[in-house]
Amino acid sequence: MALSLHSAARTVWKTFGSIKTGVVLIILVVIFSAAGTVILQRPMTDPDDMARAYSPAMLRFLDVTKLTDVYHAPWFVALMILVSFSIIAASVERFPNAWRYFARPYKSPDEGFRKVLPVQAHVKITDEEQGLGAAECAFRKMHLKSERIVRPDRFSLFAERNRISEMAVYIVHASLLLIFLGGIIDALYGWRGFLMLSPGTAGNQIELKTGNARTLPFAIRCDGAGEETYNDGTPKKYWSKLAVVDNGQEVSRKEIVVNDPLVYQGVRFYQASYGRTGKLDSITLEVSPKDKPGAAQQITLSPNQIVSLDADTKVQLAEFIPDYTVQDGHVYARSNDVVNPAVHLIVTSAKELKAINVWFPEIPGVAENASSPYNFQPKDLKTAVFTGLEVSHEPGQWAVWAGVVLMAIGLTFVFYVVHVRYWVVPVQDAGGNLALWIGGSANRNRDAFEQSFKRYVEEVEKELKSKFVEAAEKPAASLPKTTAGR
Amino acid sequence: MTLVVMVGLSIAFLLFIAFLNVVKSGNVLSEANLLYAALVFYAGAGALYLGFGVTGTESYIKFASLATWAGLIANTAAVAHRWYEAGHPPFASLYEMLLSFVWTLAALTLVAEKKYGVKVIGTVTMPVAIVGVVLMQLLRSEVRPLVPALQSTWLHVHVTLAMLAYAACALSFALAMMFLIQDKMKTESFLVGTSIFTVGIYAAVLSRFEGMGGFNVIAWDVENRSEVFLAKNVRLFVTIPDLGWLMLLVFAAVAAPLTLYILARVRSNEGFLAIANRAVFVSILLQSLALVFFILRVREGRYPSLDAEGLYPTSLAASPFILAGLVGGIFANLLYLLLLWRREDLERLLPDSDNLDRITYKTICIAFPLLTLMIAAGAYWANRAWGSYWNWDPKETWAAITWLVYAGYLHMRITRGWRGRRAAYFAILGFGVVMFTFFGVTYLLNGLHSYA
Repeated sequence: MALSLHSAARTVWKTFGSIKTGVVLIILVVIFSAAGTVILQRPMTDPDDMARAYSPAMLRFLDVTKLTDVYHAPWFVALMILVSFSIIAASVERFPNAWRYFARPYKSPDEGFRKVLPVQAHVKITDEEQGLGAAECAFRKMHLKSERIVRPDRFSLFAERNRISEMAVYIVHASLLLIFLGGIIDALYGWRGFLMLSPGTAGNQIELKTGNARTLPFAIRCDGAGEETYNDGTPKKYWSKLAVVDNGQEVSRKEIVVNDPLVYQGVRFYQASYGRTGKLDSITLEVSPKDKPGAAQQITLSPNQIVSLDADTKVQLAEFIPDYTVQDGHVYARSNDVVNPAVHLIVTSAKELKAINVWFPEIPGVAENASSPYNFQPKDLKTAVFTGLEVSHEPGQWAVWAGVVLMAIGLTFVFYVVHVRYWVVPVQDAGGNLALWIGGSANRNRDAFEQSFKRYVEEVEKELKSKFVEAAEKPAASLPKTTAGR
Repeated sequence: MTLVVMVGLSIAFLLFIAFLNVVKSGNVLSEANLLYAALVFYAGAGALYLGFGVTGTESYIKFASLATWAGLIANTAAVAHRWYEAGHPPFASLYEMLLSFVWTLAALTLVAEKKYGVKVIGTVTMPVAIVGVVLMQLLRSEVRPLVPALQSTWLHVHVTLAMLAYAACALSFALAMMFLIQDKMKTESFLVGTSIFTVGIYAAVLSRFEGMGGFNVIAWDVENRSEVFLAKNVRLFVTIPDLGWLMLLVFAAVAAPLTLYILARVRSNEGFLAIANRAVFVSILLQSLALVFFILRVREGRYPSLDAEGLYPTSLAASPFILAGLVGGIFANLLYLLLLWRREDLERLLPDSDNLDRITYKTICIAFPLLTLMIAAGAYWANRAWGSYWNWDPKETWAAITWLVYAGYLHMRITRGWRGRRAAYFAILGFGVVMFTFFGVTYLLNGLHSYA
C-alpha cells in the first residue's frame, strides 16, 4: 500500500515534470488570461455597464464562475500554483543530470564517444609530446585554457569555455519562481488604496481597493497641489507637495509628480488624480452701500466666515452650491462639479434684527437681494482643489525585480553564451600511424562552433609544421624519438 | 526590364508630383513629404517584388533592394524630423510607433537580405511596411506634447525594446513563410492560409453590416479631427447605403477559393483546385473594387445615422483598420499568386530550408529576450506611474500571452526538438499574437494603456 502510494506520488511528480504538462498549463494560462481581457472585469467596470453588456442569466453564470474577476479567481490562483509546481518538478527532475554534467565534466573521452562525436578531425603527427604541445599552443592562441588529463597509458588534453551555460535554463526557471514569489507575497501582505487630500489637510486613513479602510501609523500632509497645462489645454504636469508627519514630527517632505512617487516605510504615494472638490475656498466680492453708491470696498469670504461691513451690518457666507437647481422653492445641489454655481450670503443688521438672504444669481422666490442695504458684485471665485493619491504597499516587489534581473542574466546565458568543449587524444590507427584525434562540442549555435573548430584544427596543423621546422633545425638530441619527417 | 523602367517612371512621376507639392507649400523636408517619399519607394520595392513574381526576372530583386534602401533613407529622415520637431523619440502615439516600427522592419529586411542572403524577404515585409505607412497617413499625426504619465525615461526604454522585439517577430514570421515555401509545402496549403486570413478580414468587416445593405462606419468630426462620440467610449456610427451589399459579395468571392479547396479534398478531385486558383484571381479583382468603392464613399459625402438625427460626414481617418484590412487582404492574395506562378524561382533564390529554419530560430532567440526586457521595463515603469508593477491591463496581459507563446516555441524546440514545419507554424502564430497585442488590443479592448 505504502509502495503504491509512493509510486502514485512518483507518477504525479513525473507528470508535472513533463514538458507536455508544462505546455498544457501554458495553454490554459493563455486561454484564461485572454478570456479576462475580453470579458468585462469587476471591479474596474461599472456595475451598470456590466448589466447592460450581459443578460442577467449570463452575468450570474460569469459571476459564479468568477469569470468577471478572472485574475483573482481561486481557480486562476490554483492554475498559477500548478504552473509553479510544474516548473519546480521539471527543474528538480532534470537538475541532477545537468548538475552532474556541470560538476563533473567529461574530460577523458573513451573510444565509443570518440566514434560517435559528430564534430571531430584527425591530424597526423610523428610524436605524441610534440603533437600535444602543438595542440596546447593552438588552444592558447584561441584563448582557451587546456589541461592535461592523465590516462593509463598516455596524456590527453581537455579545454572548455562557459560551462555555466549548462545551468542557464535553471537560472531562468528560478528567476520565474522568484517573480511568482514576489507576486504571492504582494497578494498576501500587500495592499493598494486611495487617499484624497486638500491642501492644508493631513490624513492617514487609506480607502483600500477592497472597500475596507487602513490606518497608517503616520500621516501625510498636503501643503499644496496643482496642475500645469500646455497651450492647447492638454495636461502637462500634476504635482502635490507632501510631508510625512510621524509622531507629530515632520520627518520627510517631497513634491511628487506623476512618475515620481513618495516612499516612506515601504508605503508609496503616487500622484493619481487632481481636481476640484466642488467646495468653495473663497469668494471675492465688491460691496457698495445702496445709499452711498460711491464707497465700494472689496471683501474676501471663506465658507461660514463673517465679515463686518459697517458698525452694525455683517455678512456671512452661508452656502456655496457648485451646480444648483431649484425645485418647489428650495435650492438643491445637482452635482459636485462647478458648472452652475450659486452663492448664498446672509446679511444681518444689528438695527433691524433680521437676516436677509442674498443669492447669486438672484433666484426668484428665495433671494431677498432687494431688501439688502448693500449691493454685492461677485468678482472672483476660488474653489478648493484635491489631490488624489494612489497608495500602495508591495513588500514582494524586491523579489520581482531580483527575479527580472536574474532572468535577464539567465536568458543571456541561454541564448548567447555557448558551452564549448574540446578534447585532444593521441591515437594510433590500424596501420600503427600516430595521429591526434581532435573532438569538439557546443551546446548551441553549432554551425558557428563548427567554423571555430575548423579554425582550431588548422591552427594545430600550422603549429605542427612550425614545430617540425624547429625540430629539423635543432640537432636530434633535444627530441630523441623524432623519426625523420615523411 | 520593362517593369523596372515602368516602376522607375512612376516613382519619378510620383516624386515630380511631390516636388510640385513642395513648390506649392515651400517646404522641402516636411515630415509628410519624407513619409510620402518613403511610401513611394516602399511601394516601388513592393511592385518590383511582385513584378519579379509575374515575369521571373531576377534583376528586379536587385532594384527592389535599392528601392528599399531609398525608402529606408527617406524613412530615417522622417523619423529624425519627427524626433527633432517633438523633442522626444517618436514613441508617444500609435502614429509615432508605426513610424518607428516601419523603420525597424525595413532596416531588418535589409539585414536579412545582406547578412543571411534571404533575397526575397521583401515580398512579405514590404507589403507590411506599405500597409503601415498607409495607416500612418490616416492616424492623427500632429505633434502632441507628452501627457504626464508619459514623461519618463522608461517610455523610451520600454518602447524601443517593444519596437525591436516586434520587428524581430515580424522578421521571424517572414522567414517562417519562406521556410514553408522552401520546405515544399503544397501550394494549396498556402491557399488555405491566405483564404482563411482574407475570410477572417471580411467577416470582421461584415460585423459592420446593417440591414438592407448598409455599412456602418464611425462618424468623423472634421473640425476637431477626431471621431464623434455620443458618450464616453461610445462612438457615433453612420450608415453608408448599399456598400454592405458589395462587402457581402466580396465576402462570397473570398470564401469561394476556400470552399473549392474543401470540395477538392472531399471529392478528391484535383480539378477543383485549378478553379480555386482562378477564383483567387477573381477575388483580387473584387477586393480591389471593394477597396476603391470604400475609399470613394468614405472620403466624400454625409450619411444618416441610426442613433442621431441629421447627416454626418465620415473620413478614412475614422476607419483606419477597415482600410488596413482591405489592403492587407489584397496583399495576402497577391502574395499567393506570386507563389503560385514563381515557386521555382523563389526556391532557387532562397537559402535552403535548413538554413531558413535556423535563421528563424535565431531571430526568435533575439526577439524573446527583447520581449522579456520590454515587459520588465514596462512593469518597472508601471510601478512608478500607476503604483503597481502588474495591473492585468489588457495590453499587459496580451504581452504576457505573446511571451508565453514564444516560451512554448522555445520549449518545444529545445527539449522536444521541434524543427521545420511545426516550428514555422509556431513562429507564424507568435507573430499573429504580436499583431493582436499591437493593434487589436488598442482598438478592441479598453484599458490603462490607452496611448498606444
